[in-house]
Amino acid sequence: MVEVRGVHYRVNDAHILRDVSVAFRPGRFNVILGPNGAGKSTLLKVATGLLAPTEGEVRFDGRDLRELGADTLARRRAVLSQHVELAFPLSVQDVVLMGRYPHYRRVPTARDRDIVDRALAIVDMTHKRAQAYPTLSGGEQQKVQLARVLAQIWNYDAPDGDKVLFLDEPTSSLDVHYQLHLLDVARELLGFHCTVIAVLHDLNVALQYGDAFVVLEDGRVAEATDDPNLISASLLERVFKVRARRLTDPESGDTFWRFRL
Amino acid sequence: MLKRLTFAQVYLLLAVLLAGAVVASAGIGAFTFSPAEMLRYLGEAAGWMSAPASDTLGRNVFLELRLPRVVLAGVTGAVLGVSGTIMQGLFRNPIVEPGLAGTSAGAAFGAALVFVLGEKTTLAFTAPLGALAVPVLAFVGAFAATMLVYRVSTSFGKVNVFTLLLAGIAVNAVCSAGTGFLSYIARDPQARNITFWNLGTFTTASWRGTVLVSVAFLLCFAWALRHGKSLNALMLGEDEAAALGIDPAGLILRLIILNTIMVAVDTAMVGVIAFIGLVVPHMLRMMKSADYTFLLPASALFGALLMECIDIVARLVISPAELPIGIITAVVGAPVFLYILLRQQRSGGAFYG
Repeated sequence: MVEVRGVHYRVNDAHILRDVSVAFRPGRFNVILGPNGAGKSTLLKVATGLLAPTEGEVRFDGRDLRELGADTLARRRAVLSQHVELAFPLSVQDVVLMGRYPHYRRVPTARDRDIVDRALAIVDMTHKRAQAYPTLSGGEQQKVQLARVLAQIWNYDAPDGDKVLFLDEPTSSLDVHYQLHLLDVARELLGFHCTVIAVLHDLNVALQYGDAFVVLEDGRVAEATDDPNLISASLLERVFKVRARRLTDPESGDTFWRFRL
Repeated sequence: MLKRLTFAQVYLLLAVLLAGAVVASAGIGAFTFSPAEMLRYLGEAAGWMSAPASDTLGRNVFLELRLPRVVLAGVTGAVLGVSGTIMQGLFRNPIVEPGLAGTSAGAAFGAALVFVLGEKTTLAFTAPLGALAVPVLAFVGAFAATMLVYRVSTSFGKVNVFTLLLAGIAVNAVCSAGTGFLSYIARDPQARNITFWNLGTFTTASWRGTVLVSVAFLLCFAWALRHGKSLNALMLGEDEAAALGIDPAGLILRLIILNTIMVAVDTAMVGVIAFIGLVVPHMLRMMKSADYTFLLPASALFGALLMECIDIVARLVISPAELPIGIITAVVGAPVFLYILLRQQRSGGAFYG
């Protein structure tokens, strides 16, 4: 359980987060929504501990983030962000092994190696394990990064507490196939003592995958709900400054949004 | 070819080649020594054998001139190789090395200050530092130059290659101008020293300097070896490294300090030698792996090996005179530098692959 309590974040004169309080509940796919500049990525960075809030606090299973050591925190939560490029020809398995760095000191154990293998298998990249990362396509590179964060918070059989996966717009450079694959893998994690907290740009994808939603507007929480039906047309029209219409898929009965300016 | 070997086997191979190069380098020169002679001199120096009264000249040349020089060359190669590896990791870019990022030039300027103005009242504050004045001021100069280049070329956690190159040029120009000015106002013997030493030289090797450089290197190297994983993680970017439990700002500061100590102490002794720091990690990446846990130890061994070979060439080419080391490293290294730059341009940012 990750709790953000009364968080303000200021840089110089810019007041990016204003008194934000949200509880991201365990075992859920939590989605942070909002227009550009609403503070989504900042909120995510504060919740991961990468940025220290100007005021307020972040609690991880009831403990203040600042009390947890960097290594302990790194074994409990991982962050997958947008496209990562490497200037050096590290192999795919070396990149995935980085996810195990918080778990071993000098030499990876057999368990670490095994986890790397399993993470690679989950993203279907086992056959490219020895290939140099920079030679992969953008979609494949993001799969490798996904395997890396999976390896970082891998639970194996004996869970040592809930893990959290933060996603910071991880699909923004991916085509629709890779996008859905990545989010499917993230959803499967929920069954393994894992919480997902994601910033997603595509509202329809967000509503399709999310169980709990936080809508940010101008650094404040405009809505926090578990019910996608509470995300109304009027809310979306106000926050995103578009016209929104909810449609229903005649076959599945799922609803989705259509936007116009 | 090396790809099939394990890391440990590569270290072993490099160590064996290095041992061979050290023996060759110790034997070749104006005086040539056979391995048997070297062993005898070493045994005599250690007191295991009684020294015959004859042949004191050969023994002195070997023990007091050749041996410190061979050790100094090896340690210098290791310093520059490891430094190139660390700096490329810091800047996340394969074209960085101490010669390019201002570290060597800053150290040279700091050291030249002491050489030329040392006995004058203007730098009386160096007097309490005594024999350490040269390495200390070299460190100050190198640290200031490196930090300046790093700060200018980094924005929002990312390094801009072009700003980096330009900042390096500017800082190098200022430092060389300073060193040039000092050699201009210096009395003649000092000036000649500075000029020669701007291109790197091992001719002034003494046991005292060699021991100082070796101790500084070993301490910094042991410290650097703990940072292999962190340097790997830093390849992903500062935020990603932080998410893996690493404090990027602290890591960068620690690495710049240890790198600067190593390079400054060495530069104060042998002068500016460019391109070794560039070539060594580059070749190791091509031959084996870009993993820093491998590159750090391997670049020490390979740097030392390369420098022993270059030193042999420097003594042989225009024998009995010898070439400044920097001339040879520039002839070998500059084309590699251009090659990496061209490849980067063609592949639109990717350096290998």
